[in-house]
Amino acid sequence: MTQSLLITGVNHRTAAVEIRERLAFGDDELVPALARLKLVAPSVSEAALISTCNRVEMIAVAGEPEAAAKELIGFLAAERHVEPSLFADCVYRLDGREAARHLFRVATSLDSMVIGEPQILGQLKDAYMRAAEAETVGIVLHRAFHRAFSVAKKVRERTLIGHGTVSVSSAAVNLAKQIFDSFEKKTVLLMGAGEMAEITARQLMRLGVESLLITNRTFDRAVELARALSGTAVPFDNYRPYLKIADVVIGSVTASRPLLTREDFETILHERKYRPMFLIDLGVPRNFHQALNELDNVYLYNIDDLAAVTVDSREEREREAQKAETIVEVELESFWRWLSGLELVPTIKDIRANVERLREAELRRHRAWLAALPADQRAHIEALSRGIINKILHQILSELRRNNGVVEGIYAAEVARRLLGSELVSPAIKPARVRIDDEPED
Amino acid sequence: MTIWLTPTLLCYGIAFVLFAIDFSSRIQRVTGYAIGALAAGTVFHALDLVSRGVQDGNIPVGNFPQALSFLAWITALAGLILIVRFRVAVIGVLVAPSVLIALGASGAMAGEAGKLPRALRSVWLPVHVTLAFAGEALFVLAATVSLVYLFQESRLKAHRPMLSGQGAMPSLEKLDRINYLLLGWGFVLLTLAILSGALWAQHTWGHFWSWEPRESWSLVTWLLYAGLLESRLTVGWRGRRAATLTIFVFAVLVGSFVGVSLLYPGKHGGTFG
Repeated sequence: MTQSLLITGVNHRTAAVEIRERLAFGDDELVPALARLKLVAPSVSEAALISTCNRVEMIAVAGEPEAAAKELIGFLAAERHVEPSLFADCVYRLDGREAARHLFRVATSLDSMVIGEPQILGQLKDAYMRAAEAETVGIVLHRAFHRAFSVAKKVRERTLIGHGTVSVSSAAVNLAKQIFDSFEKKTVLLMGAGEMAEITARQLMRLGVESLLITNRTFDRAVELARALSGTAVPFDNYRPYLKIADVVIGSVTASRPLLTREDFETILHERKYRPMFLIDLGVPRNFHQALNELDNVYLYNIDDLAAVTVDSREEREREAQKAETIVEVELESFWRWLSGLELVPTIKDIRANVERLREAELRRHRAWLAALPADQRAHIEALSRGIINKILHQILSELRRNNGVVEGIYAAEVARRLLGSELVSPAIKPARVRIDDEPED
Repeated sequence: MTIWLTPTLLCYGIAFVLFAIDFSSRIQRVTGYAIGALAAGTVFHALDLVSRGVQDGNIPVGNFPQALSFLAWITALAGLILIVRFRVAVIGVLVAPSVLIALGASGAMAGEAGKLPRALRSVWLPVHVTLAFAGEALFVLAATVSLVYLFQESRLKAHRPMLSGQGAMPSLEKLDRINYLLLGWGFVLLTLAILSGALWAQHTWGHFWSWEPRESWSLVTWLLYAGLLESRLTVGWRGRRAATLTIFVFAVLVGSFVGVSLLYPGKHGGTFG
């Protein structure tokens, strides 16, 4: 019985958001949950839990995938107090190589709702950290996760996946980066408190914007938002002086005609010595007059312009996704070779064959005086040598078999193979192959 | 012409191709190689200059082709530093071919290396020429950065930004800052070059200034660059306007450099006597 990877759970393709919501775990719930999993799932030797708004998946290592999958789903239902029948139809299960492929595709965002979205890798890293904290990851998952992270890195380096823009708000943020070099001394003015405006402001704040000013018709809402985003509320009837210091202005006010015209801006620009301004118009109808874009050092993008930027990169992303899939396949092949190498049967075969080779070589070395002996004595010596290695091998191999199916067994097999396997006689003894803390480079 | 010319041209050519690939693929992956090729080019180029300098017994600026080659080298070196220091590989797309063309032209024109007249052979020569050329090299780069700025700015204005390549296009603010930096340092070097030239003239001929064409044009250029910096500091002519003006003033500079070198023989011209 050998250990194999398996993934089971639900994701955005199989389950509606209502179901995903009920199954999702909070970040701080993961470690205790995994600790409980160890108790209720005896077939599972390693496990990690990935819970995002698009997926609740458990990746595990188990000897008997059938039993393990059942235990995992039972665990999920019990943990979340949900009837298993409620989500039974949405559950998928992937075994072995398919599971590894799935993990790699998740890491590279190929399995995400929007290909190229950057959050999933961070979420996967969190899932791995939590599992490591709960001590539910062993040699296989360590390696699988690290490999998944390095695949994601490769995909990012070699394709345009993850370089594009996934939403209007991140298009706005990317554009801001094309205009401004650093955000340390920048001021963002948020006019109106639309949801998309708020998301955009949040993303800009993450770039290290120095100050955020918020103005809104309902001043209370501005204050509330200012508190949430650690900004400053500014009264709506007196926001104009602040335009002078604002480098990015996000408009999402509902107004029948543009709030700001070209004439307004000419004075403002002069006062700010023509330092560039990025105007993001998310208001419908528009908040800023289109002619503002004609002013020097003013860059005005309305919601349609931003959407156009996103569509461009979406087409590009699909082309690039193909390249990414190829990278995943290549990496999968290499990971799978490593994992198969851990399996016991080939390990035992390898050790046997190698020790037998050593015995035969030794006999050949002494064939000169052996040939001088009578045939029956030669047979005795032959049998004696075979007996010795069989005794030694028996002890080692039965210990390996006894431990098979538990994580320690995999370590033991790896050690035994390194000590007695065919690598022993290869001309160059390879350095330690399993340094699980390092990212594999082969 | 020395044996180093061919490898130099080759390296600059390779650097150009690599920078172009790096820019058009929009995934940064050959940046390192492109920079390496440019660096190798400047090393070979330096060897070329040194071996010619040893032949001549002084800095190799005896005639126009030699001067052009020396200017190209300083530009390549300054460009290399700029690219590495500010992570603006896109500049390489323009710097590498400019240097390649300048050096190629210099090689094609290379005739009899004019022996420097005794009066000019002095320690003042490398000081004055290096300052002047270093200043001009920074102005070349300022114009290059301005071209990139105008390109990037027009894409952003037209709502067709280049978003895909991560960091492939530097931000406008960065380009503008680099432009300002280059203009500022270029101006300082130009000022020092003019001062050192004047002192040298005083030392050799007994007068600071003789209103010969190169001197007059240097003064014109100096005034133009002073105006360019002044307009930024006082009225805030930055961004597109600054970039356009930088290119315009640079055109004047090139005109005077080439024009004076080819049309007016004299101390600064092609022939000495």
